[in-house]
Amino acid sequence: MTTLVLDNGAYTAKIGYSHEKVSVIPNCQFRSKTSRLKTFTASQLDEIKDPSGLFYILPFQKGYLVNWDVQRKVWDHLFGKEMFKVDFSDTSIVITEPYFNFTSIQESMNEILFEEYQFQAALRINAGSLSAHRYFQENSSELCCIVVDSGFSFTHIVPYCRGKKMKDGICRINVGGKLLTNHLKEIISYRQLHVMDETYVINQVKEDVCYVSQDFYKDMEIAQLKGEENTVMRDYVLPDFSAIKKGFCKPREEMNFTGKYKTGEQILRLTNERFAVPEMIFHPSDIGIQEMGIPEALVNSVNNLPEEMQPHFFKNIVLTGGNTLFPGFRDRVYKEVRSLTPTDFDVSVVQPHNPICYSWEGGKLLSENPDFDEMVVTREDYEENGHYICEEKFDI
Amino acid sequence: MVEKKIAVRSQDANQRRVLDRATRQRRLTRQLDALEKDNFQDDPHASLPQLAKRLPQFDESNESGKKRKKTRGDHFKQRFRKNFQALLEEENLSVSEGPNYLTACAEPSKLPQRHFCAVCGFPSNYTCVSCGARYCCVRCLGTHHETRCLKWTV
Ligand SMILES: Nc1ncnc2c1ncn2[C@@H]1O[C@H](COP(=O)(O)OP(=O)(O)O)[C@@H](O)[C@H]1O
Ligand SMILES: [Mg+2]
Ligand SMILES: [Zn+2]
Ligand SMILES: [Zn+2]
Repeated sequence: MTTLVLDNGAYTAKIGYSHEKVSVIPNCQFRSKTSRLKTFTASQLDEIKDPSGLFYILPFQKGYLVNWDVQRKVWDHLFGKEMFKVDFSDTSIVITEPYFNFTSIQESMNEILFEEYQFQAALRINAGSLSAHRYFQENSSELCCIVVDSGFSFTHIVPYCRGKKMKDGICRINVGGKLLTNHLKEIISYRQLHVMDETYVINQVKEDVCYVSQDFYKDMEIAQLKGEENTVMRDYVLPDFSAIKKGFCKPREEMNFTGKYKTGEQILRLTNERFAVPEMIFHPSDIGIQEMGIPEALVNSVNNLPEEMQPHFFKNIVLTGGNTLFPGFRDRVYKEVRSLTPTDFDVSVVQPHNPICYSWEGGKLLSENPDFDEMVVTREDYEENGHYICEEKFDI
Repeated sequence: MVEKKIAVRSQDANQRRVLDRATRQRRLTRQLDALEKDNFQDDPHASLPQLAKRLPQFDESNESGKKRKKTRGDHFKQRFRKNFQALLEEENLSVSEGPNYLTACAEPSKLPQRHFCAVCGFPSNYTCVSCGARYCCVRCLGTHHETRCLKWTV
């Protein structure tokens, strides 16, 4: 029996057999204005030569799986002959779902996994629980950890104690990578160039040039300076998908601080956008979302937990999810949490080597765990007991 | 639509209309909703009226040729088509006990609100009297009046 581990994110599926490597595949479909007759699914994105104006069809809305037609197409593609060639009669699946997932989504999931695809066994679990599992395996002397998962749809802060999630401490900030990209699109479109239709391109701009500031108002000052003194400023060369396949920042020495470039390249000039965009995860109220940012919410969450546990959480903060890849993310979380906690507490913030696949790695480890067979629901179990048995067994 | 009409006649800065709280709130909500959108452009297939209608069926027929069991009735189909809001309401969380999707949302920050110019994004000290947007200098205020302020409908 083999186990397929699928961290089914709203942006990408992190998928692979537990004995193999992980692949990161878009969890959506696309339409392109250059091939107007086709709908591209998941990894078929690579076939689109010119992804300008790329149209997204996403199975998730606000982090919850709502469009099953699209999700099925993506899964058919992932499980099918193009990709993982799953032999359902000999395969179990570990699959993730969001915190506080809705009952009807959970039931649809059971039906599709067991009745439609006919997996032999399934474990539905939160991605953060897999991350916590991974963390405890590596840090076996630690009793607690608090997982920050900042992905496409939102950011969760979730305390785990001895491997169990503490539901009362779960906190969701409604800021994720999708909102950051859309906001960047909005401000660039207003200030310099209409890019509202260019989600794909601007998402890349975001990943290439944005960073988390360590001293926000200082960076604001620098970003207003003229000429070479403005060390924040970047000129980003947009891709045209013929000569320039991928956008990039002009090297500092080639930057023209005073005037326009003579070359025909299309340039975005970025100053405060570079750090004001990721700043929204730290201060959602900057754009009118009246919620705490990560450090404040994290400290608030821990302060509501039993006192004797609190120091253990502060010294085991784990950052996961794509947004934590912004340069400066870890240092900023550390700095702010440090300043908000009593000085006699240790604060440690861990940024795993691959924060996007950390929970997948946890799923892989879990499937090799001696208790794994006890945790799954088999198809027989399900056929006999229905949804009830899943509700009983899964900590979800 | 109402907003548009008024914007036209209030060219004179002295008699600019002042938006009420409710309108300002509606604007903010619209802006935040826009940040959740998957796409701003139209579906490229939508401009092909004939094909757009036929295409899904082509897709359907070559996918469902597989051994997809026909266990799902109409009711099942219905359940697979609910949007987020419908699913959330169906959960009936307002009467449920213990932590849930609604209670898990981060509380409002206790830190002071920060203000940035709606035009250039730098820290701002001034508020537009008409719409409540922030601005940092006369130049940005001018741009704001010309481009958004009372004209803006998102
Ligand atoms: N290097 C990076 N810098 C900043 N953001 C990134 C980077 N890589 C990925 N992201 C963002 O992370 C988000 C996806 O994170 P992920 O944890 O995979 O989400 P999900 O699990 O919800 O699919 C996307 O919005 C993407 O733009
Ligand atoms: Mg995720
Ligand atoms: Zn300004
Ligand atoms: Zn105004």
